[in-house]
Amino acid sequence: MGHLVIRGEKDEQAVLCSKDKTYDMKIADTSNMLLFIPGCKTPEQLNADQASCNIIHSQIAGFSNNYWELRRCRPKLKKLRKLLMEDPYEGPDSQNDQTLTISKYTTEDLLSLIQASEEEIMHQLQVIDACKIGGYWRILEFDYEMKLLNHVTQLIDSESWSLSKVPLRTCLEELGSLEPTEMIEHILLSYGRKYIDDGEVYFEMHEDKICRAIAQMLLQNAVKFNLSEFQEVWQQSVPEGMTTRLDQLKGLALLDRTSRPETISLLKVEDLPEDNQERFNSLFSIREKWTEEDITPYIQDLCAEKQTVGVLLTKYARSSMQNGVKVYNSRRPIS
Amino acid sequence: MVQIIISSGGAGGLAQWVLLELQGEVEPRQSGRLAGSLLGDLHYTREGVPVLIVGHHILYGRVVQLEKPFAVLVKRGGGEAEPAELHAHYTVTALIKTKLLFKTRPKPIITNVPKKV
Repeated sequence: MGHLVIRGEKDEQAVLCSKDKTYDMKIADTSNMLLFIPGCKTPEQLNADQASCNIIHSQIAGFSNNYWELRRCRPKLKKLRKLLMEDPYEGPDSQNDQTLTISKYTTEDLLSLIQASEEEIMHQLQVIDACKIGGYWRILEFDYEMKLLNHVTQLIDSESWSLSKVPLRTCLEELGSLEPTEMIEHILLSYGRKYIDDGEVYFEMHEDKICRAIAQMLLQNAVKFNLSEFQEVWQQSVPEGMTTRLDQLKGLALLDRTSRPETISLLKVEDLPEDNQERFNSLFSIREKWTEEDITPYIQDLCAEKQTVGVLLTKYARSSMQNGVKVYNSRRPIS
Repeated sequence: MVQIIISSGGAGGLAQWVLLELQGEVEPRQSGRLAGSLLGDLHYTREGVPVLIVGHHILYGRVVQLEKPFAVLVKRGGGEAEPAELHAHYTVTALIKTKLLFKTRPKPIITNVPKKV
């Protein structure tokens, strides 16, 4: 049987982690007295055991009027990205990488720093496309990541490969002189789905993820863009054969259809606070009123198991009608 | 960060204890302490209703199967004197799946009621 671990820094609320789940720990008080008795028998047990119809002396082991209660919660994974962003991997040529191991984290390090179960941490590492370099978990620095992606998309273009059948072997052969082969394979794994056909490894490239990354690259350069200008540049910047769509940008960019001209700006959900109330405060200070469609990508990750966005909105926001459309605003004044 | 491990105690199955839930508080009769003192007598009626006699009071309760069982944890190590490395850890000593709940008001047992003629 596995064991359970209570995790937390001195200034954090304690959580209990099993192999794959995380639970908030709370102390529950009761006005009643709870006495625990080892060896105390229930009526069923006594009925079954006809022989012992005598006096049984039992000792009360102890008593309490509070107990620890566990409530399943979302693992606190924002810290994981924060730790890995302390020292993003900029490529083998980068100067910084040689020596410092202070801001580098092994799996064991992460387990002792993150309030989440091991499986939840490992899953998140995959979600954020982290890779292990020299035994440490690393996130690629965005520009380096785009550089790698660009090598691959240019090769796909010059070889006229189908986007759904990109051969690993040829990529490594052609690009191996430019970048470490582990990095080439890593970028293919991050932006494609690996499969085997006739003994050879291929990748089916994720059109949406590639378009989204290129959008991020464009949007980082300014605070706001003219929406139609952006859409034009964006479409021209993505690989041949790919089609850009605004819904690829959910949780990455915010559209303002009320301004003239319409604008778009970068807003990444992973940059927002992890705590529910703080998240809503942050969103309402960015924009006073939100439609459900616009706010959903920015609160979806807050939903607990079996909880819907609607439930969150009812709890943390107030709704009203504006021009025939339902909008949500803060329940309290935002400074 | 602190990591406190909770492990299962012992290779064999876990002991099953029973919880007794009483409303209010239990106080030692005279000066004394609770430790070592007698609480009372527990009986079951033929129908399986638990009956608790404490002092000269009688309480009727009921057997409740806990929806969320309890685990009894015993803390080991991590005393104040010890270095920071030696974090406390807990072992699960027993599980509690049943409780005897006494919510009704204790009734005094009156043994001798003189009747006026």
